[in-house]
Amino acid sequence: MTACMCVVQEGQISAESEAALRGDMTVFANQHFGYPPQFNWVVVAKGNGFTAAKPSNSVIISMRADRSLPLSEREPLLPELGDIWINRTGLTGNEVVTVITDPPA
Amino acid sequence: MPLYICNAKAGAVPEEAKAKIADDVTRIHCEVTDAPPTHVHVFHFADGPMPPLGDKSVMLYGQIRHGRTDAQKADTVAQMTASVIEHTGLSQDAIHVFTTDTPASWVMEGGDVLPEPGEEEEWLARQNAKMSQKA
Repeated sequence: MTACMCVVQEGQISAESEAALRGDMTVFANQHFGYPPQFNWVVVAKGNGFTAAKPSNSVIISMRADRSLPLSEREPLLPELGDIWINRTGLTGNEVVTVITDPPA
Repeated sequence: MPLYICNAKAGAVPEEAKAKIADDVTRIHCEVTDAPPTHVHVFHFADGPMPPLGDKSVMLYGQIRHGRTDAQKADTVAQMTASVIEHTGLSQDAIHVFTTDTPASWVMEGGDVLPEPGEEEEWLARQNAKMSQKA
């Protein structure tokens, strides 16, 4: 099972968008890692998120790979994961942080 | 990145202190590492699952880019601990601040994979050029 933590700001993502994002990320994880992700959807309450010391509109998406990835394999996956969010939410590339981690050693 | 998560017992961090702590965390991180503030994220949670509070009232956890020196990390932790004490009135015993390293190549922000230590200037120039094109 691939873990995927999505940290979003309160009121930022509608239920409909969340469902679509989960669907797209499940396809992504199945395709690249061979497993559906186990989501940990974390909402930052209003007034509690800051980026550059100002109210944040950023999302942090951190998905764990099923294996240790070389840079050549990880590098194209990061924008592919980010594009899922940009396309579904209208957020800009500056507002979407994507992380693909190796599994714990 | 960096991402700082401040998890606290409900009420331990007053509402009016949250922006002040975020200001301080951002300033301290940038002063110690020479990073730009643009990508410093500070998220507060009350009784959140991560990081576990244990016997502490406030846990401030920074996921920072790999490559910072031990001295930079120690300075960051000391200054951020002082900030939390100042803005919450808690004792040092009630607060724990720590960081973990994340490899730069694991993270994409602003459309680019984060730079390895020593490659920041070129990366920032690329980011600034993108911003200028959009303006």
